Amino acid sequence: MSRIVFTVYCLIIYAFLLAPILVVVGASFNAGAFLTFPPQGLSFRWYGVFFNNEVFLRAIKTSLWVAAVSTVISGIIGTMAAIYFVQFAGRLKDGVRIAMMAPLLLPEVLTAIALLFFVYAIGIGTQTMFAMIVGHVLITLPFVFINVSTSLESYDPAWSMAARSLGAGAFTRFRRIMLPLIKPGVIGGCLFAFIISFDIFTISFMLKSVGTATLPIQLYDYLRTNFTPEAAAVSTLSVVLTLVVVVVTEKFLGLRIHRF
Amino acid sequence: MTTGSSHRHAPLLLIAPAAILLFVFLVLPYLSIVVMSFRTPGQGSPYGEGYTLANYARFFGDSFYLGQIANTLMIGFICTLACLLLGFPVAWQLARGTSRLRGLAYGVVLSPLLVGIVIRSYGWTILLGNNGVINRSLMGLGLIDRPLGLMYNTLGIVIALTHVFLPFMILPIMSAIQGIDPSLESAARSLGASRATIIRRIILPLSMPGIQAGCILTFVLSLSAYVTPSLIGGSKVKTMAVSVVDALVDTFQWPFGSALALGLAVTGGVIVVLFSRFTRMTWKAN
Repeated sequence: MSRIVFTVYCLIIYAFLLAPILVVVGASFNAGAFLTFPPQGLSFRWYGVFFNNEVFLRAIKTSLWVAAVSTVISGIIGTMAAIYFVQFAGRLKDGVRIAMMAPLLLPEVLTAIALLFFVYAIGIGTQTMFAMIVGHVLITLPFVFINVSTSLESYDPAWSMAARSLGAGAFTRFRRIMLPLIKPGVIGGCLFAFIISFDIFTISFMLKSVGTATLPIQLYDYLRTNFTPEAAAVSTLSVVLTLVVVVVTEKFLGLRIHRF
Repeated sequence: MTTGSSHRHAPLLLIAPAAILLFVFLVLPYLSIVVMSFRTPGQGSPYGEGYTLANYARFFGDSFYLGQIANTLMIGFICTLACLLLGFPVAWQLARGTSRLRGLAYGVVLSPLLVGIVIRSYGWTILLGNNGVINRSLMGLGLIDRPLGLMYNTLGIVIALTHVFLPFMILPIMSAIQGIDPSLESAARSLGASRATIIRRIILPLSMPGIQAGCILTFVLSLSAYVTPSLIGGSKVKTMAVSVVDALVDTFQWPFGSALALGLAVTGGVIVVLFSRFTRMTWKAN
């Protein structure tokens, strides 16, 4: 009896977790002009509207670009830091870990404010996308770091030493020995970085320059004044895009994600 | 790597980019918030030339902002408690479950993290609105005559934030429970302990580090959340984080906004420190 109650309780929680996502997907196929429930018939009408809406298309492009650039930067910096952390940090290990995780532990809204003041103070301002990219790199860095360092824990430094005794230089040892072995961690970290960057809101909101709204910002602006199902169609496509990135990465590159 | 000293310092080059990035774009900017909070308000610019304590005086002297901090903290507490009550059973089921559906359940728990926060909040506006799915269904069933006020109030914000941060409660507790040796539970069972006793006397105390991490994460995240309270609360109910961002972005009161932000951060920080002290003491006492 208590087992049944427990299972039902858990099922309700799973439903609670999925409900808002399913409702958005459902709403995107609503034929009516407004978001009504029950829906007034099924249609792809709002997807058509979306594909003719330049504002949203530009926002998606901006988002993909920002996510790609910040993933590459935090992928490189985070992997280097992870190698240092696992193989060379020694007594500094705890300090390095806390520092690397700091952007995740600090409230995003505070980091956004801090960066806003700082880029103005040093005269860069938000005319370019520099500030936004820096913010995205900061937030995504911990995800690369934690994934790569977890992979590295099972990497035996003796392999590097063996390669060295055979005359391989530092970069060759990294490229030919270490990188292939920690590949799943690097890919998992970069994938997470990409998805997180694609979804970052507060940092982009406070650091955006004119005309560089990312998708979450464009969506938020739209939702404050409009109630058509177009936003649901955009959201659904964004979810599908994320899923495609995950599935493709997993299929072609192999994947192992460590989050906590 | 020819000389001894360059050999010893070469590894530092690996950490240098991250260290420089974190120092220049995290440490210095956080210091600039502190400096900004002492600036005078500007005329036609976000901040003025001089320094003043007036921003803090205004913050502590205004019952509106103090009330808002209290309301924000209350939302944080309720969300954390709700996440714990909803999250613990799921975490236990995921950690100890043997069902073949476990992978699917894990996917369901992770799924909100793959969907952007704006989209999840938007989903809640569709569910909670006066013409939303919940109110329409209840009215359709004849259970209520007028829509229940689920949005544009604290209740709506709490429901949506609980959803948004639930995975951050479940995942740490799940890893903590996975780290507990299952033979402890078998031993207790063979000695006649009921399931409730096993959970209360073994699982709960031993998973305390996970519970603590989950609670701190959920609490901090819900204090600083912006999108969800802004979309669900509208202009009627504002949390502190929403007020801070509005003061900075809409009205360009940078110095005062910084004082508000630091007020919230320090209050939240003190509560987190007290909470971790207190929980560590109680579980050591057990």
